[in-house]
Amino acid sequence: MQQTILDRVDRVADGVVSLVLRGTTGPLAPWEPGAHIDLALPNWLTRQYSLCGDPADRESYRVAVRHEPLSRGGSEYVHLFLRPGRNLTVSLPRNNFPLVPAPEYLFLAGGIGITPILPMLRAAVASGAGARLVYVGRSIAAMPFAAELRASHPDRVDIVATETRDRPDFAALAAALSPRALVYCCGPGSMLAAAEAVFPSDRLHTERFRSAGRAFAPNRAFDVVCVRSGQSVQVAPDETLLDALTHAGQPVPSGCREGVCGSCELTVLDGEPEHRDDIGAPPGRMFACVSRALSSRLVVDL
Amino acid sequence: MTHARTRPRRVYQDEVRARLGEPEAMIRAKILDHIDEHSHRFIAHSPFLALATADAAGRADCSPRGDYPGFVKVLDERTLAIPDRPGNRIADSFGNLAENDGIGLLFLIPGLRETLRVNGRAYPTDEPDVLARMRTEGSEPVLALVVEVAEVYFHCGRALIRSRLWDPASQALAAEIPSPGETAVGQLGLDIDPALLDRNLEASYRKLF
Repeated sequence: MQQTILDRVDRVADGVVSLVLRGTTGPLAPWEPGAHIDLALPNWLTRQYSLCGDPADRESYRVAVRHEPLSRGGSEYVHLFLRPGRNLTVSLPRNNFPLVPAPEYLFLAGGIGITPILPMLRAAVASGAGARLVYVGRSIAAMPFAAELRASHPDRVDIVATETRDRPDFAALAAALSPRALVYCCGPGSMLAAAEAVFPSDRLHTERFRSAGRAFAPNRAFDVVCVRSGQSVQVAPDETLLDALTHAGQPVPSGCREGVCGSCELTVLDGEPEHRDDIGAPPGRMFACVSRALSSRLVVDL
Repeated sequence: MTHARTRPRRVYQDEVRARLGEPEAMIRAKILDHIDEHSHRFIAHSPFLALATADAAGRADCSPRGDYPGFVKVLDERTLAIPDRPGNRIADSFGNLAENDGIGLLFLIPGLRETLRVNGRAYPTDEPDVLARMRTEGSEPVLALVVEVAEVYFHCGRALIRSRLWDPASQALAAEIPSPGETAVGQLGLDIDPALLDRNLEASYRKLF
């Protein structure tokens, strides 16, 4: 956890504010493009936001937040009630969407999905790689950072406002894709689905705000053993591993609860997890909010 | 406990008014007919409220509602929505509101002496867009209460000051009350170990949403 003070709240597009969080106890932890932080709000909610500032700036973090019409209390709170001067606790940066070195990149951003892409584009350009961005939104006024992107990279950025232009043809982009290029896509589910349909999966990197909502085999009960205490906890079919552990007095930090943020990562020591997250759990790890077990028993490092 | 031999005598409203005096004009003026910026901020930080209703015959009821701060959603400046979280399923409030839609709410914020009062009319809803905004720990409520706001006002802090409600030392009072298990065994004359009831209750408290 890191202590910050909210330095600035700036409206950067219709329904989008940018927050600048300055560290209050020395330099903030370093991060790489694609990383996000958990922001603990005064109303006890924790939300994940991609870092969209400059990784070289160790004084402050920058995030951008869209006011969701069906806000459960996170984005609404940020927009209506957060004021500069408020002390806020943030997590260490976590990166589920790292930028893999490549000679060329195609970046695809939808709406607020521009946030992780922004530092990626800067890093790619700075490394001398070929980089192109297609940035899609409803209207220019609702697309954060559109003007500054256009000004700083006029020859690399294609800004598409769907109220005046057709959606970009991903199939054409895929057909023209250089064999050396990697594709990074962040945006709404429909955009990710369109990208997944045409780009080769081994070269496409995605980050979602919401779960892809895939179908899984019916839930079965299983047991989880917390190795440090020896406690064994039953996970009922209608209960998540995260809830079962928390209700049994083994609280696990959590964030999105839909397998996209990575806050609830557990180390698995034995047994076979059934991964249902949209992150791609590294070997020996699993995300307790959505993932379950293929074996009848899991042993976790808790 | 036995009944008092004679009931305490009644003072009628005209005399109540005469004895207490009239409220200052400013007190009346601060009663708003809508949720303004200040009351919105208060509601967004309140994790607890008391909810009062009465049935058609005037039989009254008051129940607690608690959740994350901001659990009561401000849908617009004249409309609130309160999630119905799992409780004892007695649903007195819903029964009363079906007969008499008047409702009174008292919002509290831990540490703050002033409270917020909202009065109006209410009805249950299952509107998906309203319930979606109340999703907590992976669960949506089955129903929510829509409150059409008529009166909104801040209530001064004297009651909370006198009661030392937020003074940590006040929590020593809790130790003087028997556990829920002991109380139930006493009230119902059960032949059960109260600790068993307390353990079951604690287990049921683990799933809150």
